[in-house]
Amino acid sequence: MRKFALMLVLLIFAGVQVMAQTTITGVVTSAEDGQPIPGAAVQVKGTTTGVTTDIDGRYSLRVPANAQVLQFSFVGMTTKDVTIGTQTVINVVLETDIMDIEGVVVTAMGISREKKALGYAAQEVNNEALTRAGASTLSTALQGKVTGVEIKPSSGMPGASSQIIIRGARSFSGNNSPLYVIDGMPINSNPDFTTGNSVTGADIANRAVDLDPNDIESINILKGQAASALYGIRASNGVIIITTKSGKGNAVGKPAVSLSNFTSWENVSRTPEYQTTYAQGNYGSYVPNTSFSWGPKISELPNDPVRGGNNNGHPGLYFVPQREQAGLDPWVAPATYDNFGDFFQTGLTTTTSLNISQATERGNISFGLGNTTQDGIVPSTDMRRWNAKALGETRLNDNWTLGFSSNFASTKINKLPSANDAALNGAYAAPPSYDLKGIPYAYPTDPYRQIYFRSLTFDNPYWGAEHNQFTENTDRFFGNGFVQFGPKLTETMTLTTRYQLGMDSYTTHYQDIFEYGHRNATGEVYNYGVSSATINSLLTINYNWRINQDLNFNLVVGNELNHRNRKIYDDYGSDFNFGGWAHIANANIVTSNEEKYQDRNVGFFGNLSLDYLGMLYFNATIRNDYVSTMPRENNSFVYPSVSLGWVISELDAVQELDWLSFAKVRASYAQVGMAAELFLPNYYGKPDYSGGFWGGYPINYPINGLSGYLSNNVQYDPELTPQLTNSYEFGAELRFANNRLGLDYSYSYQLVEDQIFEVPLAASTGAAALVTNGGEINTIAHEIILNTTPVSTNRFRWDMNFNFTTIHNEVIALAPGVESIFLGGFVTPQVRAGIGNTFPVIYGSSFVRDDNGNIVVNDDPEAWDYGMPLIGEPKVIGEASPDFILGATTTFAYAGFTLSGTFDWKSGGQMYHGTNGLLDLYGVSANTEDRESTFIYDGVKPDGTPNDIQRGGPDDPDAYQDLITNVLTSIDEYYIQDNSFVKMRDLTLSYRLPKKVFNVVDLDLSVYARNVLLWTELPNFDPEASQGNNNMGGAFERFSMPQTTSYGFGINLNF
Amino acid sequence: MKNIIRLLTLPVFLLMFAGCDKDTMEDINEYKNNPSDVPSKLLVTDIITRTAFTISGSDLAFYASVYSEYNVGIYNQMYNAEIRAGEPISSTTYNNMWGAAYENLYNLKIVMGKTSEGGAEAGNFQTLGIAQILTAYNVGMLTDLFGDVPYSEALQPGVIFQPVLDKQQDLYTEIFRLLNEGIANLGRETEYPSIGGQDLLFGGDSDMWIKFANGLKARHTALLALRNPNWQDVITFADLSFAEGENAAFEYDGAQTANPFYTFFTDRDYFGASQSLHDKLIERNDPRDEVFFMPYPGTEELIFAPNGSPEQAQGVYGVSALMSVTNPTYLLSYHELQFLKAEAYARLDQVAPAQTAMENGIRAAFVKVGLTVEDADAYITAEVLPRFQANALSEIMNQKYLALYEEEAVQTYNDIRRMIALGEDFISLSNPLNAQSRFPVRYSYGADDVTTNLNVAGAYGDGSYVYNQPVWWAGGSR
Repeated sequence: MRKFALMLVLLIFAGVQVMAQTTITGVVTSAEDGQPIPGAAVQVKGTTTGVTTDIDGRYSLRVPANAQVLQFSFVGMTTKDVTIGTQTVINVVLETDIMDIEGVVVTAMGISREKKALGYAAQEVNNEALTRAGASTLSTALQGKVTGVEIKPSSGMPGASSQIIIRGARSFSGNNSPLYVIDGMPINSNPDFTTGNSVTGADIANRAVDLDPNDIESINILKGQAASALYGIRASNGVIIITTKSGKGNAVGKPAVSLSNFTSWENVSRTPEYQTTYAQGNYGSYVPNTSFSWGPKISELPNDPVRGGNNNGHPGLYFVPQREQAGLDPWVAPATYDNFGDFFQTGLTTTTSLNISQATERGNISFGLGNTTQDGIVPSTDMRRWNAKALGETRLNDNWTLGFSSNFASTKINKLPSANDAALNGAYAAPPSYDLKGIPYAYPTDPYRQIYFRSLTFDNPYWGAEHNQFTENTDRFFGNGFVQFGPKLTETMTLTTRYQLGMDSYTTHYQDIFEYGHRNATGEVYNYGVSSATINSLLTINYNWRINQDLNFNLVVGNELNHRNRKIYDDYGSDFNFGGWAHIANANIVTSNEEKYQDRNVGFFGNLSLDYLGMLYFNATIRNDYVSTMPRENNSFVYPSVSLGWVISELDAVQELDWLSFAKVRASYAQVGMAAELFLPNYYGKPDYSGGFWGGYPINYPINGLSGYLSNNVQYDPELTPQLTNSYEFGAELRFANNRLGLDYSYSYQLVEDQIFEVPLAASTGAAALVTNGGEINTIAHEIILNTTPVSTNRFRWDMNFNFTTIHNEVIALAPGVESIFLGGFVTPQVRAGIGNTFPVIYGSSFVRDDNGNIVVNDDPEAWDYGMPLIGEPKVIGEASPDFILGATTTFAYAGFTLSGTFDWKSGGQMYHGTNGLLDLYGVSANTEDRESTFIYDGVKPDGTPNDIQRGGPDDPDAYQDLITNVLTSIDEYYIQDNSFVKMRDLTLSYRLPKKVFNVVDLDLSVYARNVLLWTELPNFDPEASQGNNNMGGAFERFSMPQTTSYGFGINLNF
Repeated sequence: MKNIIRLLTLPVFLLMFAGCDKDTMEDINEYKNNPSDVPSKLLVTDIITRTAFTISGSDLAFYASVYSEYNVGIYNQMYNAEIRAGEPISSTTYNNMWGAAYENLYNLKIVMGKTSEGGAEAGNFQTLGIAQILTAYNVGMLTDLFGDVPYSEALQPGVIFQPVLDKQQDLYTEIFRLLNEGIANLGRETEYPSIGGQDLLFGGDSDMWIKFANGLKARHTALLALRNPNWQDVITFADLSFAEGENAAFEYDGAQTANPFYTFFTDRDYFGASQSLHDKLIERNDPRDEVFFMPYPGTEELIFAPNGSPEQAQGVYGVSALMSVTNPTYLLSYHELQFLKAEAYARLDQVAPAQTAMENGIRAAFVKVGLTVEDADAYITAEVLPRFQANALSEIMNQKYLALYEEEAVQTYNDIRRMIALGEDFISLSNPLNAQSRFPVRYSYGADDVTTNLNVAGAYGDGSYVYNQPVWWAGGSR
């Protein structure tokens, strides 16, 4: 009876249900391509009632009458709620979710994981975000879009080097750049040659320049050591995992063709302000061959007692000897010239790429071709790059899969030198009275004899652009092939074995030519280059066991072998016989050298993952590395990592919270080793006499046909042990209101111990440095990602993403007795690592200051520098690292229009800005416009009272120049500038033509502006132009190539 | 299918396990780009070059030429040295030279080790002797300019990280020991062939090395004038040294090798012609005034730079007319030796031989700068002898001052400091800053030690000691 009653009740209820149901049908399509989405979930919100769409994206769902809202969701798409009302047909268009919330990401060693399963921070950037504004290099494309990463471009010169550093530096003098992995294959992204002290010669590109951002489907950045530990020693600086366009995920059977072109024009991003009153000269007199513009007023030049025309039968004119040298009438009227503006031209960048891809039933295939042509804003600088790639993957049968990825890049760069060899010295600092562009740069009778306003310590920039040459030519192939065997062992177990063999092979030829006539001497040529071939063998065995509904077990074990062969050559020739043939065969002094290196890294690794209830994710890794660049006894080392992710929102209690869509906390610990870059025995080498005061090589062997040798002054500690990075990371990820608001926070702590570096030795020990273990550097980083969609309607959507990073990178210890390590620059000022300081700092002579930090002036009335600051001892005068970096991207989408912008705010940090100070020294900056007023230097007298010593004015005419040229500009601290800035990295307005206009072709049009400097503390120049492709990058500027601002448009065709 | 698996398995496992054993790894790391051993004579070649070009010829001499008023620093570092701003006290100023001197000493230590008993070339007495003399020369340059410097604990990289300072007095003992042993070794029979042309100074002529060693003994004995005057020894040693026409001079061919003062002008252009040197020459109607200077190239007027207060401007002041890409660097010149002798005789009140030696010195100095013996003799008669008769010592020192222009400036700087210690003001310097205790009485230690060696850092302090603490032989304590 009781059974019967129960059945009855059930029947009644069921009957009621049935009677009140309605059927709703419709199609779910993708906003991206208008194609139907099969397998999308359609659910009555708040219930378990739901279906999935069929192959054509269609669904039919019977819903109870009291149902109010239907929820449509699909992986990688934004979930959409639609109020049912009286509708019976509901067609829905799902937008691609930029956050890719529940997506699958490629992690270390090609292991795919659900994003929510990660126990560490990883951040993805997709193709659209990378290429929106036509950036031609990866590093510029990434700016402002990720946290925990500092991107430091060296300048706006085509092919300029750029530093990407994730979570601060781990090495003082060595490599801090992340490992790049492209389609599963690690490739080199670093420069093969460092710019060293970075005060001579030209910038040297890093090999990430070979990548075409347009071919990248997505980038996943593994920031912490726990994320990258599986890659071993090469990944202690983080990993950038790049997946190129593959055709995977395309609609099956139909080729997808994408053709795009971006064209932009570049200008100098910032023009310095110049004084326009005073002529070339010194202490008020016209001196026609000085570098100074401390002469008379330009208008007074005709009154000059020596070269003025007023007393010389040439009224209103004055005599310019350089014009006479050029065979022109030397008598001219005084005028003011815009030498800076005259020199730079408008740059042009065009990027064209074609990609054809197709997904088939059994796999996918993709072919790409790209060209980037850049002409720089400085004459004779440019870049030409070709990229070609082919990629394919096919399932042979249920168990076997084959695939390959092959990439070719050809990169040619023309550069100009900076700092002490600066081509731009004259363009930046020529006297306003001198017609740099109008007066020929060489004698009419001898094109290799320069005419210039000053001594030829620097070449005339027009002459230099015409005759000097700095080139880099790279041809590169990288790629891999793999075979995979993945039988299904049982219903719950799979075992996938994958073997991949890849290579990264390139040759770069560099040529630095100072033509005959450089520095009024006979010129020099430097040919050098590298051939590098790396073979990478990777075996992984992946065993997966779904133990039960709640628990999944995954184990990956593998072996990796990475072997690199390199040959480096350098041929130096000087003293050309004549100009016009700047070839080494025309040089009278030639030296030649070659070096061969090989190194190998073999790693055995394992990765264990346990997933419980889709809520708890545990991951542990271990890797044992064997390296060739360590002492025999210490060449093998093992290090582990563990991480845990806990998706709190899977808890029943939390699931009930409507406002909370997702919540996860994560924690990880990792240890990663790092080997020495080189480990060499003591040896004898060819002596080198460059450096110091010498611009070139004053002594060259052989002398009288004889050679000489010298012991190498960098020795290697035979007891060297691996450098260890220990890191902890904690994080939380929260999403609210249907994922409309997302917050991701990471805290990480890194301690690098037993650093391997060249410990500087006291010279009296007989060697300059010992490569040994020593020193500690720690990093505390906070990273916050905030994603919001403040407005989302059918036609309008507004997204905002913020990426906030603060990194405190502090040098805890160096070697015993060692207070600092030189990174680059001059003796003073220099960029260095110093104990107790952030990394890196700037060191140089300082102002004498009192205890309150006031600048102390000389109070000796007899002294020429009476009332002027005093030069103090050298010390740390600036810190390069910023307080925080805040990147923001925002997108407004309305109908077919999208307006998006990326902003970058770097707050804090300083740099040595040589050019700003030197423009003062030369007397060309607008700072020096007022030379007639009296001045009281802001400071105190030695007795502590405020300085009241008045100098300058008509009775003391030399004082102002003395202050600038002999006091301030001889104090390095004067050159230190705060360089916080806010930049608009890109602003793009794009429009997708409605489908009905072109039935088969999607056409996107866009206009954009890039790298617009909105505000900076730094006077006169863009802060993102500096010297060095190494760890000094961003801290030291001296006649560096300028940064650029671009304006352009793009066309993108998809069919 | 199984065949494929087998085919793949073999190479994979070979790569995995054969690829990482310790022998393989060590083979991979074998360094083939440079030799791990070379014959000692090849080291000596570069030690000589580095000693001559870098230690004798370059920065140390450039700065000495500013302090001694042979040149006026008119730009950048040299300007700062001229106006005594920063450079004289900074530990970075002489750092490159400090390092080069120890680099020489380290390589000399290797050579001496190789050629001494138990070494690979034991019995190569000629090379051993040369190495000992060059060691004495480099230690001499170091201690004369820097005072107490690391020596007994130095030159052990990776073993002793912070060598202590040795007293100058002890270093002087060591210099004489090395020179005496060097002379003895050069006199010994050896089975080894002569170093020959690898010796860029004397072409393997042991007799010349012995003369050089004796000349250095004369020089250093004279520097002990305050502490241990022994002028008879100076004469004896000088007599055992170079004859007329012989010098320890390092030649430059102007192509593979270039004179440092010349290169300093082409690469840096930091010197102007010295007003006070010009005044001294004018005062004596010295024909060398015509050959020492020239207007700045491309300008017509010869403008002299005022000592201590020039404008910081290139292209304005006249420059040295002696500069040539092929001028040799003198490690020790015949004329210096003649003036050492002249001074010794004068101090021993032996006027006649003093005059002879001085006249020899002047003649050699005239020939060096392109004038003739006849020019010299006319000048001696008209200008020198009257002054010599009035004050022999003063004129000898003044003539030595003029003779050593400009590349032998370090010896002049030593003489000036030696004379200050003796209370003699024969050479008048006109930089007004000297009166404000801004004459550097020594060079500041190199930053490579100041920043890493607490012993040197302590001795360096804030660097201001360079203005008030003379070296030991000039009356100081260190």
